[in-house]
Amino acid sequence: MTGRTEGIVLRSRTLGEADLIIEYLTKDFGTRSAFAKSPRKIKSRFGGSLEPFTHARIALTGKEDANLPRLTQSDIIRSFHPLRENTPGFIKACQFAELVMKLLPSEGRSHNAFALMLWGLDGLEKDPASVLVPLVFKLRLLELAGYAPALNGCTRCGGQTDVFYPRDGALLCGGCKKEGPALGLSAALIALHKSLSVFPLEKLSRIKPSGALLTELERFVELHFSEGVNVHIRSVKF
Amino acid sequence: MARGVIENLIEQLTKLPGVGRKSAQRLAFFILNMKDEDALALAGAITALKQNARFCQKCFNITDSDTCEICRDSLRDRKRICVVEEPSNILVVERSGGFNGLYHVLQGALSPIDGITPAMLRIKELVDRVHNDGVDEVVIATNPNTRGEVTARHIKEALGSFNVAVTRIAYGLPLGGDIEFADEITMKKSLEGRTRLE
Repeated sequence: MTGRTEGIVLRSRTLGEADLIIEYLTKDFGTRSAFAKSPRKIKSRFGGSLEPFTHARIALTGKEDANLPRLTQSDIIRSFHPLRENTPGFIKACQFAELVMKLLPSEGRSHNAFALMLWGLDGLEKDPASVLVPLVFKLRLLELAGYAPALNGCTRCGGQTDVFYPRDGALLCGGCKKEGPALGLSAALIALHKSLSVFPLEKLSRIKPSGALLTELERFVELHFSEGVNVHIRSVKF
Repeated sequence: MARGVIENLIEQLTKLPGVGRKSAQRLAFFILNMKDEDALALAGAITALKQNARFCQKCFNITDSDTCEICRDSLRDRKRICVVEEPSNILVVERSGGFNGLYHVLQGALSPIDGITPAMLRIKELVDRVHNDGVDEVVIATNPNTRGEVTARHIKEALGSFNVAVTRIAYGLPLGGDIEFADEITMKKSLEGRTRLE
C-alpha cells in the first residue's frame, strides 16, 4: 500500500539492530503496522516522532498487498509528550492503545476511532488522574468495535430488568436468565451509561457523576471486558 | 560432503542479525580460507562465550566469573553507579571515557503495554546496592525514549527514601547533526537542558 494519512503511534517493536515496527491507528486505513528503517540510531531523521501516542502525518510506501509497508515520512502534529512524562496517565494511555489493537479491525476507514483516540489522549494529557475519560473511551470503543453492552431492557423478551449477565453482554430478565455470573445495575448507572455513550465528546465535561457512581461504572466496564469481551489488559499500574 | 559442510556454516551464519544469505556465503568462504589457528580461535571464542558467560552477581554485566572486571577494579569510584538497560550499553559508556564509577544493568526497560513490570527488571537489586554500599550518585542512562523515561522515573521514586543524588544523562542534539532536521521534542529538550558557556 502507498498513501499519506494521519497516524497515532500505538506501540513499537524492535526489529534487528536499529529498525522498528510501528503499530499505528491511522485515520484512513484502520490499525496498520509499518516498517521504519533505523529510527533507533541517534541521528535518525524520524527523531522522536515514533514515540508512543505521537500524532503524526505519515507516508507509507509498499505494494498494494504488502502487510508491512515502509514508513518514509513522519511529521509530528502533536507529540503528547507531557502525557508520556506522567506515569499514571501514561499507563492509562497504554491501556487505550492495547484496547485499540485488540478490538479494532486492521482495515477500513477509522475516522471515528481516530477521533476517539485523540480525544482520549487529549483528556489524559489535561488530567492524567481522570476517571471519566478512560471510562468514556472504553465505552465508545466497545460501541465502535461492536461489543457494546446492551442495557435497554431484557435483550431476549424486551421486559424490564436491571440484572446484567456479563457473558451475554446484556441485561436479562428472570424468565430469560442463564447460568453464570450476574451483576445488578442501578438505574442511575444505566442512565449514566446511556448519557456517556451518546453525548457529544466535546460536551462530556458537563456530565458530573458522583464518585460512587463512577466506581460502579468502572466495576461494570471491567467485568464486561473480562467476562463478555474476554479481553485482558496487560498495561497495569506498578 | 564439502558442499554439506559449507552449506551448514552458511545456514548457521544467516541466523546472525543483519547477515543475509549472500553475506553468509562470503563469510563462510572467508572462514574456509582463514589460517587454521584463526578459524579455530574464532570457533573456540564462540564456544567459550556460550559455556562461560554469566551475569555479574553485583551489577548484572556479562562476565566469566562471579563478579565482572569493572566491579573488581579497585580504582573505580564506588560511590557512583551508572544504570543502563543492557550490558552492551556499558561498552558505549566506557568508550566515552566520561565515567569512572560502577554500573548496574537492569536487563530491560519498563513497558506496561508489553507487560514488563519492575519485578521483571533488576531494580530491587539496585535499591539494595544503594542501601548497602553507601552510594552518593545514581546516574540513570536508560535510553532516551518513552520506556527509558518511565524506567528512570520509577527508579527515582524507588530511591526516594535514600540520601542519594539521582541524575539523568542529558538530552539534546547529536554532535555533527543539523538543527534543521531536529524534531520539536528533541529541540525542546535541548533548550530545557541548555548550559551556560564558560
